[in-house]
Amino acid sequence: MTQHRYLQLDVLAQRAGAGNPLGVVFDAEGLDSAAMQAYAAWANLSETIFFLPPTSADADYRIRIFTPRQELPFAGHPSVGAAWAVIDAGLVDANKQGLVQECKAGLLPVRVEKRGSERLIHVRTPRATRLAGGEDFPDLLRAATAGLPGGTLVPALWNNGPSWWLVQLADEATVRTMIPDLAAIAALTGTSEAVGLAVFARTDAGEHDVVVRAYCPADGIPEDPVTGSANACVAAMLQASDALPGNAGRYLASQGREMGRDGSIEVEVDAQGEVWIGGRVQAVIRGRVDW
Amino acid sequence: MTSRRFVQLDVFADRPGAGNPLAVVLDAEGLDDGTMQDIARWTRLPETTFVFPASHPDASYGIRMFSPRREVPFAGHPSVGTAHAVLEAGIATPGDGLLVQEGIAGLLPLRVQGVGRARTIAVRTPRSRVMEVAAADDARLREVLRSLPLGNLPPVLMEGGRRWWLVELRDEASLRAATPPWEAIAELASSTESMGVCVFARSADRVYFLAVRAWVGAPAQFEDAASGAANATLAAWLASRDAMPGSDGRYRISQGREVGHDAIIELHVDDAGEVWSGGRVCNVVSGTIDW
Repeated sequence: MTQHRYLQLDVLAQRAGAGNPLGVVFDAEGLDSAAMQAYAAWANLSETIFFLPPTSADADYRIRIFTPRQELPFAGHPSVGAAWAVIDAGLVDANKQGLVQECKAGLLPVRVEKRGSERLIHVRTPRATRLAGGEDFPDLLRAATAGLPGGTLVPALWNNGPSWWLVQLADEATVRTMIPDLAAIAALTGTSEAVGLAVFARTDAGEHDVVVRAYCPADGIPEDPVTGSANACVAAMLQASDALPGNAGRYLASQGREMGRDGSIEVEVDAQGEVWIGGRVQAVIRGRVDW
Repeated sequence: MTSRRFVQLDVFADRPGAGNPLAVVLDAEGLDDGTMQDIARWTRLPETTFVFPASHPDASYGIRMFSPRREVPFAGHPSVGTAHAVLEAGIATPGDGLLVQEGIAGLLPLRVQGVGRARTIAVRTPRSRVMEVAAADDARLREVLRSLPLGNLPPVLMEGGRRWWLVELRDEASLRAATPPWEAIAELASSTESMGVCVFARSADRVYFLAVRAWVGAPAQFEDAASGAANATLAAWLASRDAMPGSDGRYRISQGREVGHDAIIELHVDDAGEVWSGGRVCNVVSGTIDW
């Protein structure tokens, strides 16, 4: 049994409890893979990350990412939390504006932006590609979105690591009041090897530009409160359709209110067409872990 | 936002990861019901407890317990874990080996024995009673029992705060190899307003006398890793049939291996017929919470 510094963060949240929790275990050299997996299962957070010394000279830090069931090569919200935590712990220069994260998927650039007393983190997400259109699965898609007035974009299946069905709906109210037919969504995503279905709409109310909800019933998650990869896919689809909201490729997405959360995700498509996601992080629990 | 002491414990565990996790917020004064519920949902653990100063002169401390969905009037493992946290934090000290917890279900004594890592804490559980002894061929139980080899005692429905069906199986090997018939368990739990089915078998192991598995049928279907309340009703049932294992009214049970845990629970039926359920507690996370 070894002792480690520990943080539990709320990621993509403007206040504690609004976002997606993340467990952060520092100084994890003494833990083997089985011990990391056992801790992540016991902690039961959607993800727990473990800090290790980097193996690449180009990296500022290295993490391994575990869900309660398995290790992930890359995930968005854990990467945002990791960069925030490594600065908070004083393990890298707090004035650096760019960091390089090493994880199973390789080296990943991270942007750090100071806004007043807060530090916002943005991570570059893997390139998204369009795999299929709604016309390839007409009956399953119609069943999964029955009764919902659609938007102008044609539904499509996109992939940026996981595959997401993306369906634009007519307006914010349609998204927020949607009662998902989880069996129909599971049938669609199961048949097309997608992790889930995300619906979205433009909004002009308040500070957000887009409202998003994401469902993964075939994965045991009826609705996910804050989803980095789905938001990155939505941005890629909007960019491909020349329909990006906001300014200079930047917009703010709202997700999770229907589940009692209130996530805020900053999305940016840069000049090279790369999609960055990020936002604020709240430190909720600070201490140590014995494992 | 206030900083409060926070611990995350493993209850009924001889080593971290073996038992049932619990989060405890010490110094909970000032948190309202909605905030406590929000924290309990965010920790994603089976229960989160909150410690307050006692309002009753005979109580050592006050406690509120929340699952991610609702407040729980009484549960065994949160009571045992919270007593451990209170002792470690120096908030209360036992008098005559007893602590008195004040919860929304009233005052409840906990017995503290030993010190340090060998310390065990047991909670006196609510009195339980036999509601109904069933025949092995009872039509309501047929689907549940179809593939399970039965032991000596007849199936029984016990009431002890929560209701459980208790079913003795022929031997430990059959119990450990059993696949829970979830559909039938869910149906039985709903039709008899019970938690579900708790199966047990006698064991020749040197550490424990019984192996136990607890299958919760409603509202969700899952196997519990360490069930203080179900085991307390089981001890009362065995005592009523003069079928207690162990000696001096004390025995230990093993639970949770089939779901990746390895809990040990100590049961004691005292001279007055009261059932005490307890065990050891491991510290895992220690620190502060800001909410």
